[in-house]
Amino acid sequence: MSIKMENCMNYEDYENAARKFIQISNAISDGWTLHEGIDSHSLHLRKETFLRIKNEEQDSLIKAEYVISYSTSYCVPIFAFNLWNSNGVLLTLEEIRNMAFIKISQGDFYSVITQQEHPLFFRPYYMIHPCHTEQLLSKFKAESKNLIVTFISLISPLIKFNLPLNYAM
Amino acid sequence: MANDREVLREIWDGKLPICFQLDQEEIMEIQQPDPFYVMVPRLSYFPLVTDKMKRHFLRYISQENADNEMWIDYNGQPLKWHYPIGFLYDLYCGHDPQLPWTLTIHFSKFPEDVLLHCPNKDVVEAHYMCTVKEADVLKHRGQVMSTMQKKDHNQLWLGLQNDKFDQFWAINRRLMESHGDNEGFKHIPIRIYTDDGSYSQKLVNPKNADGSRKILQQMLQELYPDKPDVKLRTHGIEIPTDTPLQWLSEHMSYPDNFLHLCVC
Repeated sequence: MSIKMENCMNYEDYENAARKFIQISNAISDGWTLHEGIDSHSLHLRKETFLRIKNEEQDSLIKAEYVISYSTSYCVPIFAFNLWNSNGVLLTLEEIRNMAFIKISQGDFYSVITQQEHPLFFRPYYMIHPCHTEQLLSKFKAESKNLIVTFISLISPLIKFNLPLNYAM
Repeated sequence: MANDREVLREIWDGKLPICFQLDQEEIMEIQQPDPFYVMVPRLSYFPLVTDKMKRHFLRYISQENADNEMWIDYNGQPLKWHYPIGFLYDLYCGHDPQLPWTLTIHFSKFPEDVLLHCPNKDVVEAHYMCTVKEADVLKHRGQVMSTMQKKDHNQLWLGLQNDKFDQFWAINRRLMESHGDNEGFKHIPIRIYTDDGSYSQKLVNPKNADGSRKILQQMLQELYPDKPDVKLRTHGIEIPTDTPLQWLSEHMSYPDNFLHLCVC
């Protein structure tokens, strides 16, 4: 897909959405923090938390880190995350796929999420590929009150991520 | 258009002699393995050129590590396989060239907080295509990659993987064309690195506000207004500061279509 300018989210829109997002997080103590790097366009949201995975086979605790930042190339938010088991070992993409709220084939999952070097931290993160984000967001841009909230709610089924309803109000 | 064919050919033919040594901690045999010498294309990636070397060292290591992911370090610095080999050399050795480049091989303690996992060559291909795509979004809003067919994408990758200049450039030239009335890309795909491994990727226009061609010196003034003496290196050479950015992008980009420049 080629990029259509009308689907782009410019940095000012992203920044406003991020600041509104952090207000809601603070109001409900959801644990997100706002950070600004030295470079321009480096404002990002970060959250560290623990997930409890409980099913027939296991009951385990997982450490999670989530980062939302901005891609100047694609003009969309980028979602990055890492998950570690209780031994501090990074979960594999396959383990993450098996945790997803929805059943998704290996091919589909691997084409959307890949391990990449994070453009702000220069170390590995699992990332939702931004070229899909642009297509996804274009369908919701007209109705969305906060594109970051829309964006997270669209990808949350893939990565077992719960977004409290407060963000939608 | 990338017209200076000799320059393209010269950069494509760039090679580096490398001496691989197995980490002492990995050696499980009484006999020490010989180092493994090989000449590799600067534009290639480590996972594409290390199969033979891996087989050479495998019989000297503990068998329980034999299926582990191999990784490479230079002077204790793990090397990121997702960057071209020549770029990694310029980044870590550009200021103090040493040939052959002596690197250490490991089969255990994979530094997963630094390196991306690379279980097979498909991962290298996916990463490469992803970077070409991003470069095309910067240059042409993604229009060239999206109008290409799957076989064109394959040809680009196979050309690089098999070191076939003509096969690669038959496709890559389309990615190097300018569209519309104005000569030049929308933005120049460019990353500027410092040797701590961090980089900066900004939107860079190939033209000045008055429509004239932007040269490297002018970009540096914009990016580093308080540092007048910044010098940049790529493909083993320091780039003359009067080089036009559009020409630089068309001729000195790596096969992933990005200019990877190191601060000297």
